[in-house]
Amino acid sequence: MAIGDMMMMGSGLMGSVLAQAAPPAAMSDVHLAHYLFVACVMFVIGLIGFLTRRNLIIMFLCTDLMFQAAGVALIAFSRYHLNHTGETFTIVLITVAAAEAAMALALVVLLFRKKESLDAEEWTELKG
Amino acid sequence: MMTLLTNTHGLMHALSGAALAVSDEAGHAAGHASGPVAQTFAAGPMFGLLVVALPLLACILCGLCAMGRVKTKLPAFLTVLCLAGSFLVTLALYLQHHGQPAGTAWIIQGFEWIRLDYRQMVDSVVQSRSFIANFGLYVDSLTCLWMLFVTGLATLIALYASEYMSHDVGQGYNRFFAAFSLFVFSMACLVMADNLVLLYLGWEGVGLCSYLLIGYFYKKPSAVAAAKKAFILNRIGDLGLALGIMLCYVHFGSVEYKVIFEKCAPYMASLAAGQLDQIPLIAQFIPLCLMIGAFGKSAQLPLYVWLPDAMEGPTPVSALIHAATMVTAGVFLIARTYPLFLMSEYALPIVAWVGALTALLAATIGMAQFDIKRIMAYSTVSQLGYMFAGLAVLTSVGGAAHVFTHAFFKAMLFLACGAVMHGFAGQLDLRKLSGVGSMPGWRVVGIAMLVGCLNLAGFPIITAGFWSKDMILGEAFANSQMQAIGWILLLTAGLTAYYTFRVYFRVFVGPKHYEPGDEHHGDDHGHDHGHGHADGHDEGHQTSGKHGFHPHAPGWAINTVLATLAVAAFVIVPLVALNHGGWVKDMVGASSAQFNEKAAYLIAAKGDLHTKFFGFDAHKAMMVVSSIVGLIGIAVAFVLHYQGRTTAATSKADALLPAFGPIAKWAQNKWYVDEFYNAIVRMPLLALAQIFHWFDKLVIDGLVDFFGWTPRGLGGSLRPAQSGEMHTYAVGMAGGLAVMAVVVIVVLM
Amino acid sequence: MNLFLNPFVLYSLVALGAVGVSLALPRRGVNPQVLGGIIAGTAAGLVILMLGVRAVGDGAGLVNPFFYVFGIAAIASGLRMVTHPKPVYAALYFTLTILATAGLFLILASEFMAFALVIVYAGAILITYLFVIMLASQSGKESAEEGLAAYDTESREPVISTVACFVLLAALLTLTFRGVKEMGPGANIAQSAAVIDRLPGKAERALIDAGVIASGDKVEVFSGKSQVANVRKADGTVVEVSAASAGSKWPKSLEVENVEGLGFTLLKDHPGIIEIAGVVLLMAMLGAVVLSRKQVQFDEDQKVAQSRRLREETARL
Repeated sequence: MAIGDMMMMGSGLMGSVLAQAAPPAAMSDVHLAHYLFVACVMFVIGLIGFLTRRNLIIMFLCTDLMFQAAGVALIAFSRYHLNHTGETFTIVLITVAAAEAAMALALVVLLFRKKESLDAEEWTELKG
Repeated sequence: MMTLLTNTHGLMHALSGAALAVSDEAGHAAGHASGPVAQTFAAGPMFGLLVVALPLLACILCGLCAMGRVKTKLPAFLTVLCLAGSFLVTLALYLQHHGQPAGTAWIIQGFEWIRLDYRQMVDSVVQSRSFIANFGLYVDSLTCLWMLFVTGLATLIALYASEYMSHDVGQGYNRFFAAFSLFVFSMACLVMADNLVLLYLGWEGVGLCSYLLIGYFYKKPSAVAAAKKAFILNRIGDLGLALGIMLCYVHFGSVEYKVIFEKCAPYMASLAAGQLDQIPLIAQFIPLCLMIGAFGKSAQLPLYVWLPDAMEGPTPVSALIHAATMVTAGVFLIARTYPLFLMSEYALPIVAWVGALTALLAATIGMAQFDIKRIMAYSTVSQLGYMFAGLAVLTSVGGAAHVFTHAFFKAMLFLACGAVMHGFAGQLDLRKLSGVGSMPGWRVVGIAMLVGCLNLAGFPIITAGFWSKDMILGEAFANSQMQAIGWILLLTAGLTAYYTFRVYFRVFVGPKHYEPGDEHHGDDHGHDHGHGHADGHDEGHQTSGKHGFHPHAPGWAINTVLATLAVAAFVIVPLVALNHGGWVKDMVGASSAQFNEKAAYLIAAKGDLHTKFFGFDAHKAMMVVSSIVGLIGIAVAFVLHYQGRTTAATSKADALLPAFGPIAKWAQNKWYVDEFYNAIVRMPLLALAQIFHWFDKLVIDGLVDFFGWTPRGLGGSLRPAQSGEMHTYAVGMAGGLAVMAVVVIVVLM
Repeated sequence: MNLFLNPFVLYSLVALGAVGVSLALPRRGVNPQVLGGIIAGTAAGLVILMLGVRAVGDGAGLVNPFFYVFGIAAIASGLRMVTHPKPVYAALYFTLTILATAGLFLILASEFMAFALVIVYAGAILITYLFVIMLASQSGKESAEEGLAAYDTESREPVISTVACFVLLAALLTLTFRGVKEMGPGANIAQSAAVIDRLPGKAERALIDAGVIASGDKVEVFSGKSQVANVRKADGTVVEVSAASAGSKWPKSLEVENVEGLGFTLLKDHPGIIEIAGVVLLMAMLGAVVLSRKQVQFDEDQKVAQSRRLREETARL
């Protein structure tokens, strides 16, 4: 029950793992801002990675990092609003991330077979 | 057999009436003194439709021949057969119609052609109206007169053309006869139509066939140009006709003659009562519009210039279409809608002046030409002017009679010229031909030419042309308002006699001499000459030809046709001569072209229809005066062009030319009318076209190019951004997103 | 502009972070990655610190202390993932990020998502990544920098990208730090409480556990708001049991657990999502199979030979 104890330290958690937790209480804006700050920073780091790294696999990892950032923001808002909508969308997010990862990795394999390289700059067929 | 007897009886009646008429002091007014014959309408016999259907059948058969690439004279045979059938049906129709009371107009209902039902607000009341134009035939005596000579001449000329066009067998032969038949069909529609829209169909149809046949030698640029010229000038006239028909519908609510004539009756009554102002202005405009159409089709000033050029077509076409029939369509139109023309104060005087001036102008040009076919063409224009003047000086009988006689002798003249052209390899220059009539094998042509020339010159008493011309001249002088017209026409008569016999004396008599035309070598456009063809009638070939050239004397078909026409030219004399118009007067007087004397008095407005000519009765005096004028013309031609002439190229007339100064040259150059039109119509249009061309090229195209080049340039300048590297795009996207976010925040706060 | 932090300080720290990140990105030659990491970490840490100060100052109290552990771990491992030249290490750092994120989910009381994240992401997706990395990079050499491809050791236009992204971060933080008061919480508490009414089985279990009703009794209707339950006894009689009648034996609170609430919301409010997610996953699977399948290339001669063989066999048959 260590996790449960840990959760108890939070202020006003809604529906903890233990049914006997404290009643749901509002989360303050400043606390929300903590989580959103983490989400924003993660997102921007992911974006920077996507823009600067040239390895296709790392680029896709960076997109997944951005997904994670979005997930953190969604869950934080879900908690803030005391409902489950944000979590519901996180389910969608994980689904899409999984699908994206599958497709992206299949593409990476395909592309790697063609050029024996993971360098994104090798692929300039989109040239206008 | 019975009907034939009846007809003979009719002729006998006319002949026996002649003696009475000649002794009749007031005979000059016989053309209209008998008073109007009431028009009655009745259903006609359906076989009349065959008149129209048979040429169409011939056209279709010729078209099938063309599809089957027939390389024989079959299309000519079919055409002659069908046209002869059409002529016989016309004859039967005439004989049956002749048995009806005078003034009967048959309406033969073919089928419902155009019918538009609609509702119209008239004085805030909705009325159901309909526009009806049936394929129906209107058969009165005028129709019979016209159709008899149209189908008769068409048959003869088709026969002539079967030989004349023989060198084109397998090439344009099918096309020629298809267009020829289509022409007769269209002409029949035009003449027999029971409404103005069907007339318009025929009118456009003959225009189309004229275009097709003038441009028959379509590889020859001049022929193509002439065809286009004819077509375009006719469009101007046709616009007038179309406007006239529209006005008719607007005013009378119908385009059917029957309705129009019935609705005209009250106007005629107003006319007779001397109340011209009772007739609505719109009705008075109708003839002015129709007249423009007539001027275009019948080659009158100012639209006459296409006809001389139309001689580029094969000669049978010139004979049939551009001399005998189509160009008289304008005369027919005026004759058919004569009641409408009587309703306007100005219509007939305008027609008179246009006709008279055209007659004079064309005659002066004709005097100075050297191309015999062109002379005949100008002569046609001139004589058409006569016909218009005739209609306009209130003798519709004279106008129609002149159409009738002119059709015969002018067709004959053209066919004779065509025979010469055919035989001498396209040679038409009267300075290079002489004594043709006395060459072996050319006798029939010479005689036919002489008969034609006598008619055209108006040789007294024995020629039909004299009588019909005399009717017009006499009536012009009898009309106090039309004295000037009379003088112009009289002068024209003298000039006509001169230039006609100039041709005859230069080409057909005198020392034998010929230079062949240039159409036997460089034969790239397959023009109409026929040597080298073993067609079994080359006995007339002369052996002393230059450059090994043998004149190609006409064969049996041409000779037969010419002989028939020559005989016919004399046979029709009594038809126009006796009883001041004779048979033709009966025919015209019982039709819509009949003459309303009271109305005429009014049109002559205070004028006198019985003016004396220097104290003599105008009609009788004219017989003498016009005879003298004609004979003088012939005599002058004899002296200048025959007497003492030893070569083909020169004559005594050449010595007289300097006396006329530049006038002779001007006349030879057709008074520079073509150049004038070129300068005032064609050049401004060309300049305008050039302006539009450059406007289109610079402004319109420039705009289009601008819109085309703008995205291209933009794309070109932006293309480097499309490096194809995913990172570049991603950085752009992220940067754009950042900028957008910053902008939104700055704006919001 | 009323931000949680002084805008000037905030933007300065963002700029500092930008400098740090741009230094930390891999490049050839002089590679001050550690310095950059320290600078960027300092900037992020200062922002979090100042936020905490502000939270205390506002009277909201310090945020859950585990936030500092997981939040900083997430940011740090994310940054290291982006800057590490070796894909394998990057993937492992990403695993760490995911674990930290799952921790954040837990302290946000979203247990289901936390575990789902660990199972799906760290368990499944990351393993796939690792497989692909092994498959593709094929660099068996242990030596650090030399064995790496140029595209791994050299980042592309680090400064421009970092500037653009930190402008975006500044914009995002400007919005984030204004607070979301106008969207305020609480409106959904009643809805959340009402969920318990739809789950009488849960109330039944809690009441039986608390000894209010006997085992075998059925709770037919339960009202979370008035704390009243209609209970059908084993003999068929229906009695009303309430907090007032049960006294101290009545459970302290009957709350909906996260999984229950999420499942209920998912099926009640967003039933289409499950279908769509299923279809998306199916299509992704098909796409991945099609894309990564090895294409067998025939040249023209082989095709001709093949068709001839087929013809012959057909003829023989």
